[in-house]
Amino acid sequence: MSSLRILVSFKVTPDFEALREADWLAGAEDDAAEDAAHGVETRYVRRVLNCFDESALEMALRLADARAQRGSATSLGALSVGGKETEPYLKTLLALGYERAARVEPEAALDFAPAVVASLIAGYVRQVDHSDLLLLGCRSGPGDSGTVPFLLAEALGWPCLTQVLEVEPLPDDRVRVACLVDDGLRRVTLRLPCVLAVGNAVVSQLRVPTLTDRLARKHAPIDVLSGADLGVDIAGDLRRETCVLTGLETIDRARRGVIVGGATPAAKAHALFAAHLKDLVEKL
Amino acid sequence: MPLTRESIVEGLQRIVGPEDVITDEHILVQSSVDNFRKLQNIFDVHTMPVPAAIVMARSTARVAEILRFADEHGVNVIPRTGATATEGGLESAAPDSVIIDGSAMNEILHIDAYNMQATAQCGVPLQVLEDRVRELGLTTGHSPQSKPVAHMGGLVATRSIGQFSTLYGGIEDMVVGLEAVFPGGQVTRIKNVPRRAAGPDIRHVVVGNEGALCFITEVTVKLFPYFPENNTFLGWTLKDMATGFAALRAVMVSGHKPSVARVYDPGDAGIHFSHFAAPDDCVLLFMAEGPAGIAKATAEGIAAVVAGFPECKPVESAYIETWFNDLCWDASKIIAEDERIRQTRNVNRTTEISADWSSINDIYQAAKARIIVEIPDITMMGGHSSHSYINGTNMYFNYFFNVVDVGPEEETDKYYLPIIGIICEETLRLGGSIVHHHGMGKARAPWVKDEYGSSYYILETLKHAFDPNGIMNKGTIIPK
Repeated sequence: MSSLRILVSFKVTPDFEALREADWLAGAEDDAAEDAAHGVETRYVRRVLNCFDESALEMALRLADARAQRGSATSLGALSVGGKETEPYLKTLLALGYERAARVEPEAALDFAPAVVASLIAGYVRQVDHSDLLLLGCRSGPGDSGTVPFLLAEALGWPCLTQVLEVEPLPDDRVRVACLVDDGLRRVTLRLPCVLAVGNAVVSQLRVPTLTDRLARKHAPIDVLSGADLGVDIAGDLRRETCVLTGLETIDRARRGVIVGGATPAAKAHALFAAHLKDLVEKL
Repeated sequence: MPLTRESIVEGLQRIVGPEDVITDEHILVQSSVDNFRKLQNIFDVHTMPVPAAIVMARSTARVAEILRFADEHGVNVIPRTGATATEGGLESAAPDSVIIDGSAMNEILHIDAYNMQATAQCGVPLQVLEDRVRELGLTTGHSPQSKPVAHMGGLVATRSIGQFSTLYGGIEDMVVGLEAVFPGGQVTRIKNVPRRAAGPDIRHVVVGNEGALCFITEVTVKLFPYFPENNTFLGWTLKDMATGFAALRAVMVSGHKPSVARVYDPGDAGIHFSHFAAPDDCVLLFMAEGPAGIAKATAEGIAAVVAGFPECKPVESAYIETWFNDLCWDASKIIAEDERIRQTRNVNRTTEISADWSSINDIYQAAKARIIVEIPDITMMGGHSSHSYINGTNMYFNYFFNVVDVGPEEETDKYYLPIIGIICEETLRLGGSIVHHHGMGKARAPWVKDEYGSSYYILETLKHAFDPNGIMNKGTIIPK
């Protein structure tokens, strides 16, 4: 029976939804704000899983479940480039059946350093995990370069598919992958290894372990590595990064509304059609 | 001879016209439950009797006519406004029920800044009223998490409480006067005066009646000056709830009046505060508000009291302020939560009780210990105290479980009701009240006699006196 090694790389991010507009405005005005990464003070909001990574983590579990039904074994690992704030998430993943959990201490703010992040993940795959399949979100909130999966695939010399929406198991450790492309959905059969960058998938929520599951894996270890452990000079590589935050500005997303008048619902519907819909319909 | 479903609809149409009687099957099915059986709506699997109709109340006179019709023909009616109930109060427990929907009675009738009171129809969303009075530098002082979605009539009917209750009180402390319609169509108005000693306070027949006695059409609530610029937040981490309750009590009995006073256990703190609290930390927090001098003195006084508990380690106030500003549940959060449940079958439920300072920690510990052992598939069992008084506090049990091996429609029987049962048993055994602010609904009605003891006589007599034909929200507060 073959055992497929899957690694999911994830990021824990500030919950930007919990920030008020005033926090963003203050960040835009004050370049000297304490958070060197992007001017906006995010220390005070709770942390959440990057939503695309959350999809990737659940998709890996479902892939393992589907392979188990076919009698194929799968070994799941989870990695985060992040500080201690990632450990509660790694413990959750261990309780959910991930066998390996590791984090790489970032040593510096890496939100605008996708090449450094990619080297750390690639170093972990090559030197520690020896995974066959790597899943991660196609983008994340802070920094949001969307380039880590590509840089990672290049560093590993693996193919990379982006905007992945579904992954299904096939015999012989191949996988069938559905990706969103410009003109529709493309289904591809892949031999491994490869990097899959998960997009806006229907599967967006990570399952939740029971207290019993947590207790059973309470003592499972979390490996903590440094850049040096993986042969990466984080400080040196950071100096070579080319992306620098120079400022922030507000995007006006306010919606304009029009109140349609009329004495009856029918009159309002006529007015709406005549003033706003008729031209659109005629263009169809 | 009870009316047929068709006759009920025809009778209502004669009163209000066909356009205000909703008979769309999908809407009726969705309206057969509230958040108590929310999984039935999330998964579209329904087991409750489908209401005969929803009738829109557009005036007090119309409500009177509808109730006269219902009383005459023995039709069960379910009053509702914002439809945000959590305890089954809006469930159609009887066949061919009629929902009287007050959400279209949504006019703010009067804001009296001189006498510091505002009068609103039952369907005015609290958020709308609050936004309007804030333009005048005032506040209702009422801020439940449901503020963006709940309406004034429902808030009064369920004896709601808000996040600033420790300063402003519950809705019962805010209601000045009101208008309500009783079965048979009797319209009653309780006048707006600062206080009176002209016999029993009859407002309390209406406040908290949960639609089991009458339909609330209009309420007048107090207004307060609003000083958001002086809001001051304080927070600490600590290692056990016994110390947390002791610190809360020390603040409450010291003469200080925080508007928010809370303590979270490690499980619940893990959901809200994991960015600054360790996994085994409890979190104690306060908010002081009011005129600058009072807010400052209150905050300093609270800090001095908590300093007497060296186990409590202070945290930066910005952590508490940022969290607090994102606490209310708007429609987008509700939709996101439903989607989370749909995908994971992991369900979050809450049950709130109250007790004096001597008993609250024992209730918390006893209920939590039993639930973890007796209920399967629990993923988080925790809670917090969020409303404190001179003589005690509440406990808001917050728990999550996976729905395993049963359909979504069986979630209440397999998990939710057994958990509620444990919490009610332990609370009653240790002398607390089984409902702090969500209302009895139908979920906790089975425990009503134990909750009331010998005073159940008063409750039962009220029900018989005002609703002799038993048409008002059958099964709510008093079981069928």
